[in-house]
Amino acid sequence: MSISLKVENDVGYIEFDQQDSKVNLLASDMLRRLDEILDGIQTRKDLNTIVIVSKKKGVFIAGADIKEIEQIAVAGDGKAKAQEGQNVLNKLEDLKIPTLAVIDGVALGGGCELALACGYRLATFNPKVKIGCPEVNLGFNPGFGGTYRLPRMVGLTEGMKMILSGKPIDGTKAKKIGLVDVLVPEAGLADSINRFIATIHKGKIPADKYKRRRKKGLAALFADSILVRYLTFRASRKSVLKLTKGFYPAPLRIIDLIAKTYHLGREKGLELEAKTFGELAVTGISKNLVQVYYLSEHYKKLTVKDAENIRPAVIEKCGVCGAGTMGGGIAQLLSARGIWVRLKDINYGAVALGINAAAKIYKENVKKRKMKPAEAQKGMARISGTLDYSGFGNADLVIEAVVEKMEIKKAVFRELGSVVKDNAIIATNTSALSVTEMAEEAKDPSKVVGFHFFNPVNRMPLVEVVATSMTSKETIVTALDFARRLGKTPILVKDTCGFVVNRVLLGYINEGGRILEECGQMAAIDKVMTDFGMPMGPFMLSDEVGLDVGIKVLYTLEESLGERFKPVESFRRVSEKKILGKKTKKGFYVYKGKDKEPNEEIGPLLGKDRFARFDREESLKRMVYLMINEAARCLEDGVVDDPGAIDVGMIFGTGFPPFRGGLLRYADSVGIDNIVGDLERFTNKLNMKQFMPCAYLLSLRDQKQGFYSA
Amino acid sequence: MERIAIVDGVRTPLCKMGTDFNDLGAADLGRIVAREVIERTGIDVKEIDEVIFGNVGQPSNASNIGRVISIMSGLPDTTPAYTVHRNCASGIDAVVQAAMKIKLEEGDCYLAGGAESMTNIEVELIKPMQDELMALTKAKTMKDRLRMMMKFYPKFININKSLQYGLWMGLTDPTCGLGMGHTAEVLAKEYGITREEQDQFAMVSHQKAVAAREILKEEIVPVIAPPKYKKAVDVDNGPRESQTLESLAKLKPAFDKYNGTVTAGNASQISDGACAFLITSEKRAKKLGKEPLGYMKTYAFAAVEPHRMGMGPAHAIPLVLKKAKMRLKEMQAIEINEAFAVQALACLRELASQDFAKKFGYEGYTGEIDPKKFNVNGGAVALGHPVGTTGARLILTMLKHMKRHDLNIGLISLCVGGGQGAAVILER
Repeated sequence: MSISLKVENDVGYIEFDQQDSKVNLLASDMLRRLDEILDGIQTRKDLNTIVIVSKKKGVFIAGADIKEIEQIAVAGDGKAKAQEGQNVLNKLEDLKIPTLAVIDGVALGGGCELALACGYRLATFNPKVKIGCPEVNLGFNPGFGGTYRLPRMVGLTEGMKMILSGKPIDGTKAKKIGLVDVLVPEAGLADSINRFIATIHKGKIPADKYKRRRKKGLAALFADSILVRYLTFRASRKSVLKLTKGFYPAPLRIIDLIAKTYHLGREKGLELEAKTFGELAVTGISKNLVQVYYLSEHYKKLTVKDAENIRPAVIEKCGVCGAGTMGGGIAQLLSARGIWVRLKDINYGAVALGINAAAKIYKENVKKRKMKPAEAQKGMARISGTLDYSGFGNADLVIEAVVEKMEIKKAVFRELGSVVKDNAIIATNTSALSVTEMAEEAKDPSKVVGFHFFNPVNRMPLVEVVATSMTSKETIVTALDFARRLGKTPILVKDTCGFVVNRVLLGYINEGGRILEECGQMAAIDKVMTDFGMPMGPFMLSDEVGLDVGIKVLYTLEESLGERFKPVESFRRVSEKKILGKKTKKGFYVYKGKDKEPNEEIGPLLGKDRFARFDREESLKRMVYLMINEAARCLEDGVVDDPGAIDVGMIFGTGFPPFRGGLLRYADSVGIDNIVGDLERFTNKLNMKQFMPCAYLLSLRDQKQGFYSA
Repeated sequence: MERIAIVDGVRTPLCKMGTDFNDLGAADLGRIVAREVIERTGIDVKEIDEVIFGNVGQPSNASNIGRVISIMSGLPDTTPAYTVHRNCASGIDAVVQAAMKIKLEEGDCYLAGGAESMTNIEVELIKPMQDELMALTKAKTMKDRLRMMMKFYPKFININKSLQYGLWMGLTDPTCGLGMGHTAEVLAKEYGITREEQDQFAMVSHQKAVAAREILKEEIVPVIAPPKYKKAVDVDNGPRESQTLESLAKLKPAFDKYNGTVTAGNASQISDGACAFLITSEKRAKKLGKEPLGYMKTYAFAAVEPHRMGMGPAHAIPLVLKKAKMRLKEMQAIEINEAFAVQALACLRELASQDFAKKFGYEGYTGEIDPKKFNVNGGAVALGHPVGTTGARLILTMLKHMKRHDLNIGLISLCVGGGQGAAVILER
């Protein structure tokens, strides 16, 4: 049975063990089964305690079933769905005998809410213990009483933090804020449970679970005063707005919800919660976020066809060639994941730059308390520098991150041939150059793969894994596994110029430049894109990357993909003046500390004295549709075989707004025929060939399909 | 008999106290060289039997520093490690320990060396202050605490008088009560070695070290040091190009204000640095397919009166020669550590003396040392003397020198605080 009741003496154990699944989910059928069991318990007189345990290793209950939520189309259905769960959990809460949740693994979403409904919570020191309410990430609120019970149990500040951030907490933190009553070792868990039950029955723990939290000092005086509440809500609203720029409705609705229900009784509070849930769960944004969640889960576990039996190689030691910002960032990432790094460059000054870059990231992590100082120290100790290839002989994998010049890259590949061991994988971090051409210089081309990180390496979650026709399945399997070990989401792309992300993105920056030449309003163009939800507009992005780098990639793209990538004239003029971006302190904007303002030198370089009127809507369409057209070409050329890969690439590689579901999901929502119509209009009106809709798009339109419904 | 192979070795530059290595502790310096040896030799870390490090300062945040270095340089958690302490001979002793273990067939692959950050030797509270601080933490009531604090703070308001410096305490012999500098003055007076002789010796040391700056890079791993990680330090910062006899003569005696001859200029510099080796049996070295840097032929330790600690080499050298059944003149290069110019000079004088040899039964094992063979790349007066490291540093410098000039046999020796001497014969 998925859930069963086992009675030992006077204790009833409700055991969760969902069939044919590695985890327990609080899906409808599970809820109904729990309901039946609770009904049975109500009629029994022989039990004095109920203990809820999971039979799954490392998992208590992983959450509700997202598939069921995805199906909800009407707000009323959503409300009913939430109430269904609420009623079962209320029944659990209202049992006359003590109830105890035993958390020995992840307790997320519905799982956390079920634990909250119990009278007591016991967690283990198992590092897998993670308790939290991640619903906000999917665009809705916890609907099984989480918004009602959690703030009451752990306090408004901590409760709101958990619900609004969606970030789970570990056992130690849960004990500290009062979310669990006791922490015990995993070994001898059964005895610990019995001892804790005895403690409960001795009456040593206050029966009211909302009154167990001990407050000290000032917090005790002010914690629940109206003023503090008011300030907490106000501060939360402010920080949520700063973080989401108002694009995501769920966090704000959650704050309003808690502000209202915090004074209400359970019945009215839960009713409001269910109503909000229903309304949020049917929004387009929530639906998009759910799709993005599926996509990211899929790509995190990405596998290679017909390679199920191939085991990824173990990577313990890496060589990194080229100690620039990228090389240093890569060294930091690897070392933080326990990998020993040998960092090579042509002189120690260059090596110092890379080590400095790594040290900066570690320092920042310590400052933000993401890492303990000892961890940072141990990480730094894993990086050592060299000028020759000493230490490369036993590297399991070498990442090449030298300057983007084919001749130099080829030389590195030739040199590596005589130093690395036979089964070492050689990965190139090139952003646009041909991996195949490099592989041809290698001793064993089947071991060569592209491994394209995004800048800044420690923060951008995407890696493009580039396979050439010579790359072996073993190499690809290892590269995908390695990306995951580094905490990155990989997409698998074919070796073509610019792969996916740069190919799509560079056209967009170039189009931004073209619009700029027409209307001269840089900041307005950037704003159109940030209003759309992009983290940066084309010129902010160019300043970040460096215009010289951008132009170089554009030329490379132009050479192999055609004239549509030819960098606009003004870009060339600006870069010739060495106005390159943040690294030269001025680019399209002038940077003074944290502030930036448009650079007045740019205007005269646009080569015009009279500009056309700026059209927001038209500009947005030109930039975004151009990206869609290029993405369609990637599918047409078989660079990737799935629109999902492009959406994952754009979201995790460029920060394309997740609430829009990804570039191609957005295209579907606009309608392919609308997009093709506009592209054709641009082609004719502006006489610009880059807008000519590609064959893939045209055939989608002709067949009345979208990227995803194809 | 199987020889002890020193497969490869590397050291950090030696940096004067409070300069480039200010923010690196002894454990950091140690793990940098340990890791570099691992990388350069390409040894599989699982094959290393044990890690042994010499260290004098014994930082309290890296207790058993050998173990800390072992783990921080990437050895498995399951590899044992320990620390040895024989004052200035700690670095030598680490190497000797590895050699002894190989001879005993306890293992055949060791990572050994020395690490010292004299910059970061701790400053302690004086005992009365420590006692009262302990009492303060034990005070139960607020009232008690307040009352004790009222007493405590005024009493120890003079911070200088409330602290004692670990560095100076470490450099003072507790059995005879003399600082190391004072033991040097004892020798200056006993042997009548003048200030001029000492300054001249120091001058030559600087000249040789300056001339050797580039070739010493062969044994140095450049260190990119925190907190800024801006530049790679790749040379010893002790040797002074601009050193003159006049400027040496201007310095005031550092220990005996009125009758002294030992100055900061003719004593060794207080520095930070580390040095590490991969040490294996000869057979194992062959299996690794590496041409070893050289072999340790034999070693000896001697002891003298604590207040004449500088004379250690004069006894250790004949002892080690006797053990090796060799003559001093067979040695193609000789390093005697320059803890103090006067101490090295006194040793040279006694080694050349027939009376000394007769008195201690060293006949046949002493003699005059050819200046052309002696400390050819400068010594601790110019290069610096990070105490726990120097012994290992001498072995490395000697082996690299022998390799450069294709020599077969060399001898290193140093004096040891507390009244000992150590000597090692190296061969290729």
